[in-house]
Amino acid sequence: MTERGVVFDLGYTPHEGERRGRRGAITTTYRDGLNRVFGIHRRARKKILPWLLVVFAVLPAVVFVGFAFLLSTFAPEAESPFGSHADYFGITGTVVLLFVALGAPELLIPDRREGVLAIYSSRPLRPDDYVGARAASLLTVIAGFMLIPQILMYIGFAALSSDGFFKALGTNADAIPKILAAAAVYALAAAPLGLLISTIASRKAAATGIYFGVMLIGTALAAALVEASGVPGHRFAALLGLGELPAHVNDWIFGRVGSSDLVVESSGFDPWVSLVVILVVAGVSSAVVVWRYRRIM
Amino acid sequence: MDDTPILSARDLGFAYGSIVALHSVDFDLPAGRIGLVGANGAGKTTLIKILLGILHPTAGSATVLGFDATKDMLDVRSRIGYMPEGDCLPLDVTASDFVAYSAGLAGLPRNAARQRSSDVLTLVGLDEERFRPLGGFSTGMKQRTKLAQAIVHDPELVFLDEPTAGLDPEGREEMLELISRLGGFGINVLVSSHVLGDIERTCDRVLMLDGGRVLRSGPLSHLVDADVVSVDVIGDISAVVEHLTAAGATVEASGSRLLVSSSDDDPFRLVRDALASTGSGMRSLGAKTTTLEDVFLEGSGV
Repeated sequence: MTERGVVFDLGYTPHEGERRGRRGAITTTYRDGLNRVFGIHRRARKKILPWLLVVFAVLPAVVFVGFAFLLSTFAPEAESPFGSHADYFGITGTVVLLFVALGAPELLIPDRREGVLAIYSSRPLRPDDYVGARAASLLTVIAGFMLIPQILMYIGFAALSSDGFFKALGTNADAIPKILAAAAVYALAAAPLGLLISTIASRKAAATGIYFGVMLIGTALAAALVEASGVPGHRFAALLGLGELPAHVNDWIFGRVGSSDLVVESSGFDPWVSLVVILVVAGVSSAVVVWRYRRIM
Repeated sequence: MDDTPILSARDLGFAYGSIVALHSVDFDLPAGRIGLVGANGAGKTTLIKILLGILHPTAGSATVLGFDATKDMLDVRSRIGYMPEGDCLPLDVTASDFVAYSAGLAGLPRNAARQRSSDVLTLVGLDEERFRPLGGFSTGMKQRTKLAQAIVHDPELVFLDEPTAGLDPEGREEMLELISRLGGFGINVLVSSHVLGDIERTCDRVLMLDGGRVLRSGPLSHLVDADVVSVDVIGDISAVVEHLTAAGATVEASGSRLLVSSSDDDPFRLVRDALASTGSGMRSLGAKTTTLEDVFLEGSGV
């Protein structure tokens, strides 16, 4: 005889535990943002690109430290040919652009397209909280991209130093505020604009395309306009090259101004001008995003 | 039952630019299952959005569970659930993850959110499908998921906006059954619908809107249970009418059918006496059933 299963109707149980209100709603939105940009709790294909970018961001640092280890072992007298902290921001800066192009649309557009904002609007969450939590998710990921490889290099090179690990950490400690400042500049240059475009565009692919257009094609266009020497004030076009402005400020932070062939630099602008442009674009972008979400939530 | 209002409005008004959606709306609705009825464009969704704090009234005020809907928006939202009429589900997420996320958004800790997601999805009949992405769900399953996210955090009051929209007859029956059960869980319900039969099935009180104004408000039984007897007479109708009128009844004749009501006496007894006195017969006798639709059509002057 076959035993048949029994279904127990457990009914409905009221929740008598903790309720964290607005704080809980904000942290849940923030955590969901992290999950989204990495494709966690999503289908496998949504995980491929973000994790590939993580590999692109971190792998060179691992390779640099690994080669430095080999050099220190087999040719201690040889000069390390591998990049400095400032150089490495060139790599992660590009990866961050790619990541924001993919991640910012993923954070904002599906909630609008699929009507999920109606759910947020019935929870203890203000529009500013929602935007803030989403922006914090993106900035956290960017900080990770920027800082983890730098920390790997900082610790790795110190561990291989002939002066000893702790002494090398101390000797290179002045790099830490520079690393943090440069990471903040890259994050401010990339994230707010990505969120603004994702606020305006209705499709993820369109937002990604527009972001690439502004950051990469815009920079090339700025260079072309600067070359058009017949146009009065043509050199100001260099400031439209948003993609290369953080590199200009990065050089300033690490004391390497004049060492690169940036259009904005060759057009005669000081790095502080690039920093002001980055801050203005970030401020205006953030204000527009908040204004828009206050209207639709 | 506690008659303290869970929803109140005083001179509430709202306009979309020059289009006035709500005019001087006043009501006090006690705990229970409340039907919000009205034709499309009557102002139902606008009213719900004001109660949720999404829209700010252009005149007057509204309170939800004793909190001002505009000033105390976060207090209101901490205590209510909302099932929107339109799409609100992320298609690439499983029902389990989404409902747990909705619970987290309402402030529940992670473990409690997971546990309640599982419990509530079982309650709405989605226990076996809860690990499937929502994009593959049927309309009925999506509506159930929407209901699950609205109650997963155990709200004191839940707003259901057109919960049976798009459902086939079987799905509609199941949804109405679920809504009817919510009262037993200690959850007050405001069901917005233009399907008056759904309101009659699920609610004990009704707020009728028409053109942004309150048409009727009160217990459903008071609105639909008019004390009227319908009798189909065989014989001399005029003699029966005369007898009933003399006895103080109000009589409305239509062919051989009479509608009889009386504020002083039992209309059944009056009809019995009139038929016996005049020697008339009858084909049928019964209480006239007044539906919510009758009340609505009468009130809106259609």
